[in-house]
Amino acid sequence: MEQNNSLPPFPQGLASPQGAMTPGLPIFSPMMPYGTGLTPQPVQNTNSLSLLEEQQRQQQQQQAASQQQGGMVGGSGQTPQLYHSQNVSTTTALPGNTPLYNTPLTPMTPITPATPASESSGIVPQLQNIVSTVNLGCKLDLKTIALRARNAEYNPKRFAAVIMRIREPRTTALIFSSGKMVCTGAKSEEQSRLAARKYARVVQKLGFPAKFLDFKIQNMVGSCDVKFPIRLEGLVLTHQQFSSYEPELFPGLIYRMIKPRIVLLIFVSGKVVLTGAKVRGEIYEAFENIYPILKGFRKTT
Amino acid sequence: MASTSRSDSSLPKVQCPNHPDALLVEDYRAGDMICPECGLVVGDRVIDVGSEWRTFSNEKATKDPSRVGDAQNPLLNGGDLTTMISKGTGAASFDEFGNSKYQNRRTMSSSDRAMLNAFKEITTMADRINLPRNIIDRTNNLFKQVYEQKSLKGRSNDAIASACLYIACRQEGVPRTFKEICAVSRISKKEIGRCFKLILKALETSVDLITTGDFMSRFCSNLGLPKQVQMAATYIARKAVELDLVPGRSPISVAAAAIYMASQASAEKKTQKEIGDIAGVADVTIRQSYRLIYPRAADLFPPDFKFDTPVDKLPQL
Repeated sequence: MEQNNSLPPFPQGLASPQGAMTPGLPIFSPMMPYGTGLTPQPVQNTNSLSLLEEQQRQQQQQQAASQQQGGMVGGSGQTPQLYHSQNVSTTTALPGNTPLYNTPLTPMTPITPATPASESSGIVPQLQNIVSTVNLGCKLDLKTIALRARNAEYNPKRFAAVIMRIREPRTTALIFSSGKMVCTGAKSEEQSRLAARKYARVVQKLGFPAKFLDFKIQNMVGSCDVKFPIRLEGLVLTHQQFSSYEPELFPGLIYRMIKPRIVLLIFVSGKVVLTGAKVRGEIYEAFENIYPILKGFRKTT
Repeated sequence: MASTSRSDSSLPKVQCPNHPDALLVEDYRAGDMICPECGLVVGDRVIDVGSEWRTFSNEKATKDPSRVGDAQNPLLNGGDLTTMISKGTGAASFDEFGNSKYQNRRTMSSSDRAMLNAFKEITTMADRINLPRNIIDRTNNLFKQVYEQKSLKGRSNDAIASACLYIACRQEGVPRTFKEICAVSRISKKEIGRCFKLILKALETSVDLITTGDFMSRFCSNLGLPKQVQMAATYIARKAVELDLVPGRSPISVAAAAIYMASQASAEKKTQKEIGDIAGVADVTIRQSYRLIYPRAADLFPPDFKFDTPVDKLPQL
């Protein structure tokens, strides 16, 4: 494998035009606040369904990340900010690269709720679900897929797609007759991609000329716990234009953050669910934005 | 009033020759316009605006001779001055087959037909739960705003009307629960909730958060509980929320549990099922909330409450 870890980490979800985006200068971002092995790599140009290559690549990433992890164990509380500042410097170096974040991350961003330039929370939201789509590039006969594949259900009267499940990574896929596929249930971007490849491999083995075009992550869901109860009534009074709290309809407060465009479900117990992200950083950024606000509405009793 | 309007400068202005600035007083009994400064009768033979006939309420013994009809509601119906030909009377209005000669009663206000329909529906719904005229008017206004904006055009008009009714009740300070609105509407609670959120976003308004006290008087009087019990239940619910005994519970459930506790401590004991029926809350929900407030029951009652059943004998579920 020629891909080593000094290659520029591209933002996940960007389809890389063939070779045009690798200017050869290594942009190395050592502080990846991700969990295991998720340094974003340049999106592979290969549309081949080589699962072996995929897994090898992931293993290499994991090794690299664990090396980096050893160096940054103590700084987990700081990493989100460092990552941001690093990112601001790195993205400007690449011409034509769409930056991960559109704003300079000063504390005075206009539409985000005002954040004091103080310490960040020590809490990192955990990703719970990733929804991605991929185009297999050929028309499929759902009946044969449903009959011959294992763990596939197909009820055309109820829904016009085959619902297939695999155990590792534990995911579910909706496969449509146009050749498009939706993969849900993965806990990380790489797992989602791996799972999508596995499904495509299954379809390929059934005799269809399946390809792996336009893999895109559509939605990412994360959750975390701020560990203190929250006064939702106070929050809805002060942040009226962003919040919606209707205890008759839903017990949590629905906070629609504008920048980044994330929806947060905030509960009295202190648990927070963040959804609507296309990249992992949006979830982290949104949580860093909301954490000081939630601290201000902590229940005192 | 068809005569000279004082504010219109294009028409010849009637004014007293001695006091040109004085506003003339209209005396319709004699049909005069009188200057209040000197008493001069300035304009006479002003058109009488009283009714054409003196109609005595005879329960429609003969047809109503008034040729004017109801007052229009210009705010809501677009304010067009259309007239329509009514059905004919007498034999001459029917042609040889028995059909009426003049048939065109349709399309009197084509663009607002849906709106008129919705207003009718709103009035019907409000009538079922005895809502006063001001809430109906507010609902009509909200519906008109939403309808003109066209941002919720795809949604069923009945759903939008129900949601407008809910918002109007909230804005007037007498909120009704979603379930109460569901009871008088054919739309599901889910759809009303969705339309509610969409309307708030479309009109860029917000509503106050509901509190337990908003529903006490209605629930208690529907259950037939005396005023003492109602006041006790209001106090209990308020105290429970203040002491944060019921975090995350819907205010309706807390209110229902408070009513249960208050009624069980008084002579008028109501079962959880009865309260659940009136409040639209499941009785297991009342049980859950009751379990949360039961440990502090002694602190929750108002100090001047007369206990029929003492606090330690309250049912423990």
